[in-house]
Amino acid sequence: MNALLTQTNPGLLLILVGFIGALIPAQRIRQGLMVATPVVALIMLAFADRGSSLAVANVLGIDLILYRVDSLNFIFGLAFLIAAFLNAIYAMHTDDQLQDGMALAYAGAAVAATFAGDLMTLFIFWEITAVSSVFLILRAGTKAAYQASMRYLGVQILSGVLLLDGLSYVYKANGTLTLDAIGTFSSFDEPGAKFIFVAFAIKAAFPFLHNWLQDAYPKATVIGAVVLSAFTTKLAVYAFARMFPGFEILIWIGAFMTVFPVFFAVIENDLRKVLAYSLNNQLGFMICAVGIGTPLALNGAAAHAFAHIIYKGLLFMSVGAVLYRVGTAKASELGGLYKSMPWTTIFCIIGAVSISAFPLFSGFVAKSMTMSAVGKEGYFIVWAMLLFASAGVLEHSGIKIPYFTFFGHDSGKRVKEAPFNMLLAMGIAAFICIAIALPAFVPGFGYGWLYGLLPCTTVSPADVCSISGKAIEVYDPYTLDHVLTQLQLLMLAVLAFMLLKRFGLYPPERPGTILDTDWVYRKPGYAFAKWTGTVWGKVGPAMTGIAGRLGAQAFDRIEATFSPRGRLARGGLTASMALWSAVLLGVVMLVVLIAR
Amino acid sequence: MTTPVERDSSGRFVKTEVDAPQVTPGDDGMHPVSKLLFGWVDSPRTPTVFLILVVSICVILFALDLFVDRHDYFHLAESTGFYALWGFGAFALAVLSGWPLGKLLRRDEDYYGEADTTPEDVESKE
Repeated sequence: MNALLTQTNPGLLLILVGFIGALIPAQRIRQGLMVATPVVALIMLAFADRGSSLAVANVLGIDLILYRVDSLNFIFGLAFLIAAFLNAIYAMHTDDQLQDGMALAYAGAAVAATFAGDLMTLFIFWEITAVSSVFLILRAGTKAAYQASMRYLGVQILSGVLLLDGLSYVYKANGTLTLDAIGTFSSFDEPGAKFIFVAFAIKAAFPFLHNWLQDAYPKATVIGAVVLSAFTTKLAVYAFARMFPGFEILIWIGAFMTVFPVFFAVIENDLRKVLAYSLNNQLGFMICAVGIGTPLALNGAAAHAFAHIIYKGLLFMSVGAVLYRVGTAKASELGGLYKSMPWTTIFCIIGAVSISAFPLFSGFVAKSMTMSAVGKEGYFIVWAMLLFASAGVLEHSGIKIPYFTFFGHDSGKRVKEAPFNMLLAMGIAAFICIAIALPAFVPGFGYGWLYGLLPCTTVSPADVCSISGKAIEVYDPYTLDHVLTQLQLLMLAVLAFMLLKRFGLYPPERPGTILDTDWVYRKPGYAFAKWTGTVWGKVGPAMTGIAGRLGAQAFDRIEATFSPRGRLARGGLTASMALWSAVLLGVVMLVVLIAR
Repeated sequence: MTTPVERDSSGRFVKTEVDAPQVTPGDDGMHPVSKLLFGWVDSPRTPTVFLILVVSICVILFALDLFVDRHDYFHLAESTGFYALWGFGAFALAVLSGWPLGKLLRRDEDYYGEADTTPEDVESKE
């Protein structure tokens, strides 16, 4: 294989083609490139050597390790490239140069950041993800999208600045920025650790730092929301797994993250926003697993990220297809669409059962590992929270999305089935959801393939999995206990849904804005900023006036005293001059007398 | 058949009738695949059949718990029907909390002055 191809970070190729693609007006040629590039990048990745620095550049005395593949970042990069491929297919019905190009560049930046071998390289691509992705929101063209995109950009750049801040502390203390084995940090006392932690926390949408996600994603374009759902947050999960595995605080943050979005998703009417909350809940599982930090848990986080990128993309695609055809994604205005969009319905249901972790679907083989890892370490409360959240996922993503869109009360809307390219992308995603989850009886498919890609396997031991000191074990998701308990949890929850619906206890879908903690800065915060502006507008001139008057008075006084026409220049009586001379002479003589 | 591309006075493309979305309320033009796969959904018996089906699955799963000697990481989770009750309870709690939370947190759609969030790349946006 050509050395240039095997030693170039595939993300760089995507970024390059993305920027060039944005300049190609011919739709077919551009979109052909958009689809082909991720495939080429996948081939490049397949031939890359593991565990060594493949491309190094020296800039200002810092070694930038542009490309470094190991068992931890491989699976994340692979998932990103598959997502980039599916997104390109999904976007083929629209002719939008900027959006096509930026979607690929954004994916490329995420891939390049994943394979970065040092913090500075990570920082550079971290910022490119922020800058390229903002166009996916802006292109929606509404005032709401414009304002949300500016808030989004501000938050993303803040995260980048904190990362830069943190890495400069690291460089000062260690003289190197290299990321090789996992567990770059072992405690928050290390220089820069806190800054970098917060930078990642913003991108991973930790509780109270999460609002940018629910704010921006539902206002993005149809395609933009699909693209956005895959990269930024999972890049942050990877970054946590690389640098902060086994940090106990992550366990609790993750558990909280799985629980609180459940309550918002129940009452939210905009289905893309429901999916955004659901995204948060899913990230919680991964963050929690990273916090546990055992090989099993890290495998769980990686498998969950891989499965999640595909099924969450699939759900965003199906809701996007509905939005594209019907013109709204509000639950209160949808219903009965199975009559006109049967294929979309089927693919959405596959995404829904996958995220709900039904056995034979991808969520099950991924989430079971995290649950087992938490159980094994004996965190009962965390485990119970995750179990609650599992039922919550079923509620908002497993049932609410497909039920209120495609079934439920018939809205009477009859539209065309989604365009073929959308259906193709959804079909491939649905296929992956099932293919990576089947038990081993289907040759060539099944969870064995996914588990073979995980960071901590017995085949590719250990360079990245030694952090907890625990042994790597073979995990089997399809034990009787697992399947039975999971089915009990889910089926009884389904029963709860049917009973609540039957007895009219299920809250109706109603239009409205649901307040979240971003209210604090969007209402009182904004009002305060406006108020200070008004106050300054009034007080400023007043203060300038006072200062001006005081200055004028002082000037008048000084002029009246010292100017050529002033009081001093007028002169006094000669007699007083003689008198003052005598007094001064007396004082001097007195001083001399005493001093002697 | 190709339709001529029309532009308005400012030179922008105007959607012709052929491209316009066919959102016609009440038209029962079901997709042929829908008739094949989901023909049963509209039947009046469907909800009852579904409920019976789900209840019987739940009963079977619960009964299995009595016979299977499960091993779990926590003692509480090994008790009979733990997962079933937890799933039912968690789901009901999440849904029922929607009533008070909705009252508490739901505001007008234009609360932040951004009622229109429909992106421009949808088919039917004027």
